[in-house]
Amino acid sequence: MNALGFDTAQLGLAAPLCIVSIGGLVLLMLEAFSRERGPRTHLAALTLVVLGLAALAFVRSWSAPPQAIFHSMLVVDRFSTFIGLLILVGAGLAVGLAGGFMREQRFEFGEFYALVLLATSGMLTLVQAADLVSLFIGLETMSLAVYVLTGSWRRNAKSSEAAMKYFLVGAFASALLIYGIALVYGVGGSTNLAAIGALETPEISDPVFLIGALFIFIALAFKIAAVPFHMWAPDAYEGAPTPVTAFMAATVKAAGFGALLRLVATAFARPELTLGSNGWVPLVSILAIATMTLGNVAALRQESVKRLLAYSSIAHAGYLLVGVAALGLIGPEARGPILYYLAAYTLTTVGSFGIVAWYGTHGDERHSLDDWAGLATAHPAGALAMTLLLLSLGGIPPTAGFFGKFYLFKVALGSPALLPLILVAVANSLISVFYYLRVVTAMYFREELRPVTVVRSTGMTVTLWIATFGTLALGLFPGWLVDLATQASLFVK
Amino acid sequence: MILALVTLLPIVGALLLLLVPREEVGLHRGLGFLFALATFVVSLLLVPGLKPAEWNALVDWVWVAPLGIHFKLGVDGISLFLVLLTTFLMPIVMLSAHQAIARKVREFYVALLVLETGMIGAFVAIDLFVFYVFWEVMLIPMYFLIGIWGGDRRLYASIKFVLYTLVGSLAMVVAILYLYVRHHEATGLWTFDYDALQKLVLSSREQLACFLAFALAFCIKVPLFPLHTWLPDAHVEAPTAGSVILAGVLLKFGTYGLLRFAIPMFPQAVVQCGPYITWLALIGIVYGSLVAWAQTDVKKLIAYSSVAHLGFVVLGLMAWNGRGVDGAMVQMLAHGISTGGLFLAIGVLYERRHTRRMEEFGGIAQVMPRFFAVFAIVMLASVGLPGLSGFVGEFLILLGSFDAWRTAKGHELFFGTGSHPKLIAAIAATGVILSAVYLLTMFQKVMLGPNANPKNRHLPDLSARELAVFAPIVVMAFWLGIYPATFLDRIDPAVAHVIGQFHEKATDRPELGPTPRLLGTLSKAAAAAATAKPGGGG
Repeated sequence: MNALGFDTAQLGLAAPLCIVSIGGLVLLMLEAFSRERGPRTHLAALTLVVLGLAALAFVRSWSAPPQAIFHSMLVVDRFSTFIGLLILVGAGLAVGLAGGFMREQRFEFGEFYALVLLATSGMLTLVQAADLVSLFIGLETMSLAVYVLTGSWRRNAKSSEAAMKYFLVGAFASALLIYGIALVYGVGGSTNLAAIGALETPEISDPVFLIGALFIFIALAFKIAAVPFHMWAPDAYEGAPTPVTAFMAATVKAAGFGALLRLVATAFARPELTLGSNGWVPLVSILAIATMTLGNVAALRQESVKRLLAYSSIAHAGYLLVGVAALGLIGPEARGPILYYLAAYTLTTVGSFGIVAWYGTHGDERHSLDDWAGLATAHPAGALAMTLLLLSLGGIPPTAGFFGKFYLFKVALGSPALLPLILVAVANSLISVFYYLRVVTAMYFREELRPVTVVRSTGMTVTLWIATFGTLALGLFPGWLVDLATQASLFVK
Repeated sequence: MILALVTLLPIVGALLLLLVPREEVGLHRGLGFLFALATFVVSLLLVPGLKPAEWNALVDWVWVAPLGIHFKLGVDGISLFLVLLTTFLMPIVMLSAHQAIARKVREFYVALLVLETGMIGAFVAIDLFVFYVFWEVMLIPMYFLIGIWGGDRRLYASIKFVLYTLVGSLAMVVAILYLYVRHHEATGLWTFDYDALQKLVLSSREQLACFLAFALAFCIKVPLFPLHTWLPDAHVEAPTAGSVILAGVLLKFGTYGLLRFAIPMFPQAVVQCGPYITWLALIGIVYGSLVAWAQTDVKKLIAYSSVAHLGFVVLGLMAWNGRGVDGAMVQMLAHGISTGGLFLAIGVLYERRHTRRMEEFGGIAQVMPRFFAVFAIVMLASVGLPGLSGFVGEFLILLGSFDAWRTAKGHELFFGTGSHPKLIAAIAATGVILSAVYLLTMFQKVMLGPNANPKNRHLPDLSARELAVFAPIVVMAFWLGIYPATFLDRIDPAVAHVIGQFHEKATDRPELGPTPRLLGTLSKAAAAAATAKPGGGG
């Protein structure tokens, strides 16, 4: 014990969060005092080093017993470590995409790397939060940094518009969150997740408490873009500079699901917290069905590949919500598939948005389906990678996305009540294959309408190969990740 | 090990081709052909010492340990010849495509090789997860084959093919998962192993739901009337190579799946659904033949003839006696050979004239005598002329159906209780006559008569390469027709084993194990849907 009131050994457990936060601040200073106006290759390299160090720290803490630190504000367990690592991977891949993209599109935004690190630190806080207050801090840190990233392409009107929309809706979500926290605290007298989870009957059946819980839930539903709280997502995803889209589609969703899974397992785990006989399961099921179906149906009609992928990423939140519903009926083992799915989704999403970023040159971003015609003739490797990634999104073997869905449905089948939900999900997979194949059709079956141009950047190429091979490798050899995800699912505190 | 080699060799070749620069067109053609040929040679090693009624050349590698998934492959008398058919047709197809495919040559050979791995894998997989993975692996290359090198409406045809197939596969994957979870409930063991899942005791409602899911996937592939509408589109738009593989091998997955999975795993459900399937098969035979007769596009004619011929195969399976199922197996092989040959023949004409309309041709025999000979042989093989491949299968199937009551020996008949197998056989027999009608009419219009169209006056006859393409097919058409014992000696014990096991499982109804917790809405809905259907069969 010392003046801070906690064991300094806990700093070791919080190392990943500390490394990323401090790294973010240092990078911010470096940029502020730098005269460099060209490409910030050194900053990108430094960011990757910071992310790598944080990942190492996470790996080291894998074997530590799960424990609450900093006066039960944060918790370190394998669950948060697993999602934390995913977030670091997503951030690293997005950084790999950003350099080439910014150089090509002539908007050098030096704060990009610092903001990515700050957003990442917020996400790590979010998934490690053991208290509603730290949850709120994490969510805000993440969101503010991502708003700025979304609007970072100042000369691009769509980018500014996207940031504005995202910010306004996000601010609304934050207000709901803090309001919900206040209500829950007002009834329960504590913001600690475990303490809230231990509350007994008079409090938890209090309608004010229920409303508070619902508000918190809705705030997170905004962050994971679940229908009907998704309306910001297509515009924000489409308007943001594509590497930022890749970053937020993958990591914000992972962090949001991390927080959601922890909440439903700790503070709001009581089956009496009802909107039906199975607690929050019916609510989540309805949300899952709406999210999958609307995401996929809306994607059918898109003419912009980027917007199509934005809707597809909404649909994927729906599949993940099927897992959350399974969690309520089956128990912790349902967390394994959600974690695996998030891993598959992270790689595939960053990869597919990455290819959107890679395709096109200065002043000529190639987003419309017509622009994608004939890509396979000019760039067979890029088209092949995109095909693999799209097949993974559609759940066709032997890719990570297929195995993720398969594993998810396998666990969900453990409860007969979930069968309708699985059938809806399967029907949705069919719809999704149709629009993913529209992109493949354009790339392979049509002749190019204008010459194909792509960004030439080693960073991008390497990143895209990593994402593509990762997607394939996770599909072909999923065993080890299933093991890790299973371990992570059983160590939630 | 041999089996893993046979299965994975093509995809290794595909990966290798990806590393060769795409300008090296000749190298791609050569390497692709070489890998297909090597696969064929290696697959021949499976034949000596084969024990038809058990798994040979077993491969059993742990794949995803935490979920109990094994990369398990095995071949028996049923799958052996289907594998050989695949590996036999593939080099032929590659050789035939030398001139027809000038664009994206590398992609073409990569797609064919990936497709080959998918097909072989799906035939030999005896872990249902592995089966499903290979089943889906076939889908995408075929989609590319139709979409990239296809005709004018290729976009429509390719997406239709994918969506039709996928509807069935997704239903099937849910059923596979259901069996997997039920097996765990019953025994505490997570496994997709075919033999283990087959021993699972299911309630009749569960059987019906799972059977319908599997049968949907397979009947779309067959394709059984009225699920056949994707086939003419896919065939007409696909390039010759695609059509040959599609008709020669891919359709067989429907009937193979019924024989391997749907029928043995859900005996009660088959007896329940058998009459419907029988009658749909009969409708397919007659309807397919009549529609084929009405076609003016030769390729479409052959596509519809596939609907009829595969209807025969399904009928043979539904007879479920040694003769019927043996006949179905032989008919699958014969159809692969003869229809493959017919599509290749049309490809030859199309390459020369860029049309497939019958009225554009006539009297081709005068300018292409060598072509006349091979075309006549494959056409007659398809008609079912004794001495050629088509005869044996059709004859056995008709015999099996005719005999169904006598051979049932107290077991329930798939045709339905109170059905008239002789009547069924008689209706099916019209298909034999009709196939002679439409194929001979087509042949007459295209090859015989005066050579009136000036564009046809100077068509070059078959080149040496094209002769090399047709030679093995002609040999096989005669072999199957004259000495089918080579095949039947290995097929028959395997079929007898499967039928024996089936009757054992169907009659042996132990008291239900632990009450199935997992009786979902699906089976209820399926049961409701099945009872709502009007009228029984026969």
